[in-house]
Amino acid sequence: MKLKQLYVLLMRLAERFQMVQLVIIFLALFTGAAKEATVVFSEAAALCIQNQYLHHGLPSPNLHMSSEDYNLVSSRNFGSEDVSPRKLKHTQGNNLRGIPGNHHGAVVLSGAASQPQNGGPSNMSFYNTPSPMASQLSGVAPPPLCRNMQPNGSNLNTVNTDGSPRSIVNSTIQAPRRKFVDEGKLRKISGRLFSDSGPRRSTRLTGDTGANTNANTAAVAGNGTNNSSKYLGSSKLSSVAPRTVTVRKGQSWVNENIEEGIRNEAFDDSCANVASTTSSSFSSDNVRSLDHDGATVLVGGVVVSGAKAVSGASEVLCLLRTLGEGYRLSCLYRCQDALDAYLRLPHRHYNTSWVLSQVGKAHFELVDYLEADLAFSLARQVSPYSLEGMDIYSTVLYHLKEDMKLSYLTQELISTDRLAPQSWCAMGNCYSLQKDHETALKIFHRAVRLNSRFAYAHTLSGHEYVALEDFENGIKSYQNALRIDSRHYNAWYGLGMIFFRQERFEFSEHHFGMALQINPCSSVIMSYLGTTLHALKKSEDAIKIMDRAILADRKNPLPMYQKANILMSLEKFDDALEVLEELKEYAPRESSVYALMGKIYKRRNMHEKAMLHFGIALDLKPSATDVATIKAAIEKLHVPDELEDNLSTE
Amino acid sequence: MATESSESEEEGKITGGNQHLIVEDDLREMGKKAAWSVSSCKTGNGVSSLRDDNLETYWQSDGAQPHLVNIQFQKKVKLQVVVLYVDFKLDESYTPSKISIRAGDGFHNLKEIKTVELVKPTGWVYLSLSGNDPRETFVNTFMLQIAVLSNHLNGRDTHVRQIKVYGPRPNPIPHQPFQFTSREFITYSTVR
Repeated sequence: MKLKQLYVLLMRLAERFQMVQLVIIFLALFTGAAKEATVVFSEAAALCIQNQYLHHGLPSPNLHMSSEDYNLVSSRNFGSEDVSPRKLKHTQGNNLRGIPGNHHGAVVLSGAASQPQNGGPSNMSFYNTPSPMASQLSGVAPPPLCRNMQPNGSNLNTVNTDGSPRSIVNSTIQAPRRKFVDEGKLRKISGRLFSDSGPRRSTRLTGDTGANTNANTAAVAGNGTNNSSKYLGSSKLSSVAPRTVTVRKGQSWVNENIEEGIRNEAFDDSCANVASTTSSSFSSDNVRSLDHDGATVLVGGVVVSGAKAVSGASEVLCLLRTLGEGYRLSCLYRCQDALDAYLRLPHRHYNTSWVLSQVGKAHFELVDYLEADLAFSLARQVSPYSLEGMDIYSTVLYHLKEDMKLSYLTQELISTDRLAPQSWCAMGNCYSLQKDHETALKIFHRAVRLNSRFAYAHTLSGHEYVALEDFENGIKSYQNALRIDSRHYNAWYGLGMIFFRQERFEFSEHHFGMALQINPCSSVIMSYLGTTLHALKKSEDAIKIMDRAILADRKNPLPMYQKANILMSLEKFDDALEVLEELKEYAPRESSVYALMGKIYKRRNMHEKAMLHFGIALDLKPSATDVATIKAAIEKLHVPDELEDNLSTE
Repeated sequence: MATESSESEEEGKITGGNQHLIVEDDLREMGKKAAWSVSSCKTGNGVSSLRDDNLETYWQSDGAQPHLVNIQFQKKVKLQVVVLYVDFKLDESYTPSKISIRAGDGFHNLKEIKTVELVKPTGWVYLSLSGNDPRETFVNTFMLQIAVLSNHLNGRDTHVRQIKVYGPRPNPIPHQPFQFTSREFITYSTVR
């Protein structure tokens, strides 16, 4: 009954307009619908299009453009155009709804070329012709019928101005909603239909995926965050608009479409104004309207609608943006900022293996090994078979001297994947921790053979060569690592250390400087740079860098120790003693601190204090060499320093 | 740091031997950087059997006593312990009995630093090169010579299955006066 009324209305409208011929023919070509339906619907479609243009005062070029669009590849315009006619037919075409949704995904994915086709069939679907073609073509999902041409018109406008993604998104969003199966159901849920519910579950699902992909492609197409937010906003806009329209129209879908169109248009415009707001607000709007819509879904249990797809897409993009931000910052070695970025992730995304490994890596770069250990062990709990980042974890355990954990990790990694370089790096670290440098070297070579582009394996074999005092091969290995990855600051550091040992201090300063440039937050590199500068007699710079290192990481006792060393050689004994006193608090069981203090007291000729400190140093069980040194120092307490130094050569 | 004092002859008897080779963590094997030679050997039982980490193979001398094993380094190194693997049960009259360790700059300059008598050893025998003085923990030398002066049961030739020489590890951080002992210091001492 209602359908008939609509038919009549449409016919009347069709009489007034003549531009529909092209459209009708096109639609007829695309859809294999029944003749009468074709005729009627084509007219109605033409009507819609013309109304659309009418309302927006679009000059014929628009229509021309739209017809061109049909022929051209630009799916966007097509989408919007399809929307309008479809909207008109919304009441009639349950099938129409079904069709667009399905084809949504197919069409969008297949690209613009298919769009025109989509437009056609979708329009046809309007006309209650459940032709498979039509459904397949609904890449540009026609918006809910309640949403008349007006929004389409505005969409078209915006499409013309903004870009295709939006219209694509619009159409895709709307497609799922149009998937009503049969007229009976349509009547039953007509009121709710317009509230954007009721699409058949399968169609909704397919349409949703299509919408998702559409939205994603739309967002992706827009380079840069501005674009994405804009597109998201626009997509949301479109999703919101139809919904609200549908709601409004729910009550009066019998009314003339033009009126609805007007309302839609108005709403759409207002929505367009809001489009500039952030996506989050949109998503919340969407969510709200989605909920409203979702509540009225009769068909199927999945509340999948275009708007929800859009909000989902925007959430995904938000998530990806945060992840990318964190990764970018950690590549820049701005580790604290990277950690903050990762913390902004929602909880269940934070607790994934990749994110946790990245967090662990960031802590590792900050020389915060305990936190890194925590993060990595969480990552292993979450995903015990992931190998990425596990080489860094093995290094963390090496630094913490946790040989049992390290060997356990190695066993697990080897049993997970025997051919991954990370597992062998872990094993090499294990042997290196046991001071078996030759075996460790062999294993790192194995890791290199497994993947010669794995820079860290080269760096680690360089470390082993240095431990074996084979500096030539060490330099070669570090240079290999740098050839693969010139931002691998460990290799720069390794080269700096070799040159430092060889007393080529200028080279060493350059390399430490490069390492520090890449990773400016590592206090260890800073302290080594300081000692190098001191060796180059640039002691003021050395002290400055030491202070920087001390500030950078208060838990690192080394810069203070080195600073005391420098001060002692500069003969600023009091300052040195001050620093060492502070250091005593940090590391009370470090014999070298007491040994150094004893040495300083000896230089100041405060023999009792020197004796005391040497005694404490000995009690703390230093290495055999140091025992010898300290005992010698004790015995020579009353001998002038020159003689002492001659005897106690390093 | 360690002085090159020549120890007075110290007679010590060592019995038994360890089945397992266990050395302290702060020692490392120095033999790889040295040139090894022997005074005489039987074909097939040459000096390489001393360094092949295989306890089945042995060096068999083939000349007059004393039989010498010479270890020459390219630079002066600090040595702390010499470890031999000898087995009376397997070698009986070939097992060395009296061993003298000499150190110096070269063949012309060797001075005995330790003498020891083995009594039916079976396994790894540790010979420490340190003196009593704590400053003399190490022997700082270019060359080490291990002389087998006599064998068990007055055997003429000798079998030695393996010899290892240990010295202290260098400071992992160069140009540091003292090595670090506590975990906090060691953790932050290097970037890996």
